[in-house]
Amino acid sequence: MQPILDWLENLALSRFIVDTPLAFPVIECVHVLAITLVVGSIVIVDLRLLGIASSRRPVTELAAEILPWTWGLFCLALLSGGMMFASNAGTYFFNTAFRFKMLCLALAGLNMLAFHLFTYRSVRNWDKDVPTVPAAKAAGALSLSFWIGVVLFGRWIGFTIHN
Amino acid sequence: MIADFAIWMSRTGPSQTIQKILWIIPTIQTIHILAIAIVLSSAAMLELRIMGWTGTRTTMSETAQRYIPFVWGGLIVLALSGSILVIGEPERELTSIAFQIKMGLLLLAIAMTAAFQIMVRCGVDYWSADGARPLGAKLLGLLTLLTWFAIAVAGRWIAYVDLDKVTL
Repeated sequence: MQPILDWLENLALSRFIVDTPLAFPVIECVHVLAITLVVGSIVIVDLRLLGIASSRRPVTELAAEILPWTWGLFCLALLSGGMMFASNAGTYFFNTAFRFKMLCLALAGLNMLAFHLFTYRSVRNWDKDVPTVPAAKAAGALSLSFWIGVVLFGRWIGFTIHN
Repeated sequence: MIADFAIWMSRTGPSQTIQKILWIIPTIQTIHILAIAIVLSSAAMLELRIMGWTGTRTTMSETAQRYIPFVWGGLIVLALSGSILVIGEPERELTSIAFQIKMGLLLLAIAMTAAFQIMVRCGVDYWSADGARPLGAKLLGLLTLLTWFAIAVAGRWIAYVDLDKVTL
């Protein structure tokens, strides 16, 4: 692993981020904007799955409206996050908060995958006018928990890494 | 004067408590960021709907009813969590140019959101009709969204105290 971390830290982009005082804060601002919009847009869908908000709108319509934005912003968060990681890879990789953040991200991804592979297949039966099925509610609740974890551990990285 | 007030506040009991218990600041910041996520996304859905970029299968008033309460609710959580952060670190916040700009922009965003809410209430029929969205409302929507983004950026910038003095 160490050679990969060293390679990342020695990329021209990483050197630029370290050597330019404004680079890291600017990238971090982009990351914060992207991640808050990713999490917020996912919360909108989760609340629909839980039957708490947007209950009169079809699940499929809401998902089709919001999730393309979510994916686009997620790419931006991944890109900006990747740049921050590369600039100090050796430190982030061994940081416990960072690892828990990645764990929460992976769990959020698996939850979404399971939801789409199984629960979402029957969406026609609970798309509108009826309560969502328990499996959809569970997916919404798990998604909320994992994304809260992503934000929590993400913020904790800043308190455990000192350059 | 602000600096004196900040120093006085940092010596009060509540501020001392927040300073001593190390997990309070990161935990409150996490709650603050989650509330920002809700406010920014709700505002984005609203403004994108005004601009006709998304959500056009619902009426303007339906969109407003769904998302505006989340903007106000989120702002209450932000005001409470933000107050705890200011009490805990008064000098870091109150004397920072980034923080002062953030508060100014916040007033602007609140005023624009309220103005928009009044517009929607006045003309449900008008907004319910597709296509006829006046340019002024679109500009208001775009400006409001950009202001919310600027507020989040200014908030993050409070962390960069040194750059604060160099660049702003």
